[in-house]
Amino acid sequence: MDGYNSSLPGSQIRLPICPNNSYCCIICCFFVLICVNLGKERTEVSKARWVEEIGMAQVIEKKGSLWVTTGVIRNGNLYCHIEEIGYLAQIGALVLLDEVDNVMGLKDIFTKCADRRYGCTWEFFEAYRHLKSLGYIVGRHGQPWSTKHDNLKPNSDFTADTGFIADRIEELQIGAANLMFDIHRPNSKFKKTDPGAPSFIICLVGDWPPRREEVEYLEEKCKLVPLKFCHVNHGDVRFFSFPKVSLPVLP
Amino acid sequence: MELSGPRWKGKNFAQIANSNPMSEIIAQLQVCLSNSESAALPIGTDFLLETVPELTKLLNRTSFGRQLTTSYDSKQYFQLSPEETFYLHHFLKCLKVSIDNAKLIDVNDLWNFMRNRSELFPIYYRAYVHLRSKNWIVKLGTKNGVDYVVYRHHPALVHSEYAVVVDWENDKGEKQSERLRVWSDLHCAVRACNGVAKAVLLLNVMGYEVNFSLPELLERTIVDERQITRWVPSQCRDDCKLEGNKGEHH
Repeated sequence: MDGYNSSLPGSQIRLPICPNNSYCCIICCFFVLICVNLGKERTEVSKARWVEEIGMAQVIEKKGSLWVTTGVIRNGNLYCHIEEIGYLAQIGALVLLDEVDNVMGLKDIFTKCADRRYGCTWEFFEAYRHLKSLGYIVGRHGQPWSTKHDNLKPNSDFTADTGFIADRIEELQIGAANLMFDIHRPNSKFKKTDPGAPSFIICLVGDWPPRREEVEYLEEKCKLVPLKFCHVNHGDVRFFSFPKVSLPVLP
Repeated sequence: MELSGPRWKGKNFAQIANSNPMSEIIAQLQVCLSNSESAALPIGTDFLLETVPELTKLLNRTSFGRQLTTSYDSKQYFQLSPEETFYLHHFLKCLKVSIDNAKLIDVNDLWNFMRNRSELFPIYYRAYVHLRSKNWIVKLGTKNGVDYVVYRHHPALVHSEYAVVVDWENDKGEKQSERLRVWSDLHCAVRACNGVAKAVLLLNVMGYEVNFSLPELLERTIVDERQITRWVPSQCRDDCKLEGNKGEHH
């Protein structure tokens, strides 16, 4: 039970003292508590508009300091990926509008998260949500937090992104291991314009644990950045690493 | 989880270990066993060795085998695993082995005998040699659901640091075993071992072919060492250090 909803921020599972100690009553209280946590009213709610052409949303009303570590900057504008939208929408910090300014509900947002066309899968989103809720700074592997081009048409700023998304879609083969996130540890001095090297890289692994060869291949791709493997199993998110060691020769 | 260092069982035990290097005690065992008339005999899947007090003391100090409790004072009995028997006979060249209680056999015959009994013997022996030749004490890991547990010195002085799982692949890099095949195998190994403050060490015997001779086994295989560590992002911002008996709580 401690693990239930650990992906959602601020959720402390404490069963209230139930006046009626019956099983039904206890279960009802449990779900009321979760709903209370989920339904916390936020005063700072940002707005973003979905842009299908680029598979991202442009942030049109920015509220709160969370944007220091969320979203990517392209030619001075702020955009976010579907997993960022999914997380922020779930915690009530973002409202997503479609291209004609209708509010998109969570069902549509979650469906987009699971839609591989936007470079995301449901498991990828669950891993993202888990890490974000714990305060880590999470970006898509290899994608810059901020780019700035002068004298370019707006759409061409996204050539790199859409190409990136297309590459990712190819890589998102079911069951394969994919380098997914660049992670920075929680850091109040984080700057998108100068993020520094990631603290580690997360690889999302499919149905089977990675073989030694795969681990070595992926380590090489990561160069010197530590690599962690993430396995998501029906919402349960776990991380492993397989560092090479050398047992010392003892006297 | 990374270990924060060896956990010695007593206050000065680290110094005692430093003053008694295992390699030196093993050298004493080699001399004593070479001079002994006693030969190991097959018993079940293991080997039985009759010993006298001086040899008993050295086998215990180097942590080879299990001494069987008896009411006899003048002779003692040890039960040795196949790997221990073969290591003492082949690598340390000091143990005599007799199969049919008559003549002593040589290393090639013993190799064939071991292989006939267990097709996995070469793989486990390769891992055993890798660990013992670095002067780590190697004991069976059944209690922890793994193949071996290894100690930096005698188990009376120090807790074991690693729980060892042995895997193997052929010379094309293709995994050959069913070990750690599914995710629950990994979760299980890490959970069980971290709970008793041991890191999981995966020894991969690479380049193994079924028909290898003994020299080929030792010359043409490489043992790859990797740790399997679980990272819990809510508990720590990097791989945690194992401290005392704290382990995984998730």
